Amino acid sequence: MKLKNLEFLGPVFIIAGLLVSRYLFPNKITFFTEISIYTIYVMGNNILMGYMGYTSFGQPFYLSCGAYSAAIYLAYIGGNVFVAIFVAFLVGLLLSFILGPSLMRLKGSYFTLINASLCAIGVFMFERLLIDITNGNDGLWYRSNMHKTPLLDIRMPQNYFFFILIVLLAALYLYRKIDRSALGTVLKAASTNPRKMRFLGYNVFRIRWMAFTISVVFSTIAGALYSVNFGFVNPSLGENSRAIEVLLATLIGGIGTVYGPFFGALGFLGMKDFVSSFLSRWEFVVGIMTLIVLFKFNRGLWGMIQDAGSFLADTGRKFKNNSVKTAEK
Amino acid sequence: METWFTAVIYGLSTSGILFLVSLALSIGYGLMRIVNMEAMLYYSFGAYVTYSIVSMTGSFILGAIGATVIGGILGFVVETTLLRKVYHRNMMFTMVVTFSVFMIGIGVIQFIYGLDPKPLASPTSAIIRFMNVQIPLYRLIIIGLAVVAYILIQLLMNKTITGKALRAGIENRENVEGLGVNINRIFTTTFVIASAFAGLGGALNAPLVMVGPYMGFDMLLTAFITVILGGLGSIKGTMVAALILGQVVSVGGTIWAPLAFVGPFIVMFITILIRPTGLYGVKGTAFGFND
Repeated sequence: MKLKNLEFLGPVFIIAGLLVSRYLFPNKITFFTEISIYTIYVMGNNILMGYMGYTSFGQPFYLSCGAYSAAIYLAYIGGNVFVAIFVAFLVGLLLSFILGPSLMRLKGSYFTLINASLCAIGVFMFERLLIDITNGNDGLWYRSNMHKTPLLDIRMPQNYFFFILIVLLAALYLYRKIDRSALGTVLKAASTNPRKMRFLGYNVFRIRWMAFTISVVFSTIAGALYSVNFGFVNPSLGENSRAIEVLLATLIGGIGTVYGPFFGALGFLGMKDFVSSFLSRWEFVVGIMTLIVLFKFNRGLWGMIQDAGSFLADTGRKFKNNSVKTAEK
Repeated sequence: METWFTAVIYGLSTSGILFLVSLALSIGYGLMRIVNMEAMLYYSFGAYVTYSIVSMTGSFILGAIGATVIGGILGFVVETTLLRKVYHRNMMFTMVVTFSVFMIGIGVIQFIYGLDPKPLASPTSAIIRFMNVQIPLYRLIIIGLAVVAYILIQLLMNKTITGKALRAGIENRENVEGLGVNINRIFTTTFVIASAFAGLGGALNAPLVMVGPYMGFDMLLTAFITVILGGLGSIKGTMVAALILGQVVSVGGTIWAPLAFVGPFIVMFITILIRPTGLYGVKGTAFGFND
């Protein structure tokens, strides 16, 4: 009863946890910023993977589209960071408007591979085709072009961290809202039995398109946040080989859950950071860890936390009942 | 004119390697309904084994045989220990599981051989002159071996009882099992043959590219495109797609260098949007793509 009321505060707990850890480990601040941005990126993927059952190998494409649109705005047009992020949002809408109709009609692994090819085409576009604008592999630098923002000068890493936390809080509440709304339920239902949903009168295609739009917008905004964070982008952000990272993060966190993306980002990036600090070959350990998570804890880290929570609650209840009984005796 | 002819021959040899490498993926993907991302491990292990054997004994033929054997053994181990556990799971799960195995394999390679790419000299530098065009003999050997592999696989699938049982098992697994055929053993046999070919592909490609831990990564998407373009479950389709892609890479790369990299993706993009089942794909629910 009490726990149910507190559930509403979940995102606040996450933000508070990040804030506390930022002061406990002051030299890890970039790591926490990265976790927060990555959470938004994983959320975008989780909508596709957890709610719609679509696996995409092309998430880096949407990420790099967002990053490059913000970067090109900052490098050539203006210096306002908020406008840059808004530009990335608009690009996300445009992308899903153009690509959505054809992509949402594809099924299963065709969707996966078309996205993979989009990803390769994206790298090609940013590396070769638009070389006059993006400087190819040298990357685009624009940190000096960014203007000072009112109230909070987010050019400073410590201030940017707070800005990211605010964005993350908003994203988490929006995401929680989607999960609780009819949209989330319909999406999950449509991924199990689309024919039945159609029979019930839902326009499955339009709903999927809507969810795809949300997913792409999450990814592009995460890309814009990345590019503002680093002050520099290069095409390696959108490489095919990075597509699997976000899938792993989603799975590690637990697919189709509200707080899964955060724990996935935390688990994956933490593991990578931890392993690469004393072993240069992180692939081996990450691969084994993923296998363990997949076979033993297939509900992910958040599922494990939920299980642990319900186990504690059960034992607590039993203990309480027992003590009541002994008192009665 | 000579440039184009050379480009076509080089393209054919690329097709040969693509076909050998994609076979494991094609059989795993089309016939067993599993997305086998770690199929490229046989390819990279094959290349590395060839490198070791060549630097120890100096004989490339021994190296290629060793790579084929290692590919087969790896295929056997992976199929019997891992893939059987995931056949009935959904596609996304198998994708991520096999990809984790792929990453572990890359880690093992880095552990044994280190991160630096290893160069490997071409086993024969002989050049054949044909109508004023110089063609390296090695490229022709690759083409020949790929043709032999294709004929062998086709004979296996169409002429032997194993191949017939396999094709029947794809259609309806329960019925074939009911007839008393051990379908697991047949799947394993086919899979081992396909992985041995992937190992051979790695050995043959080793002198043409740098042998590095991430070479499987680079090949993975191209091999995937080959399988998807050809249509799932069709060996003939895989062969035709490999032929097309080899020419796209080679001739396209001669026209405009960046096409060698992005050409295959564009070809696949257009093909899937026009004809979602691929060139020789079978339409229907058999392959799990019905929504």
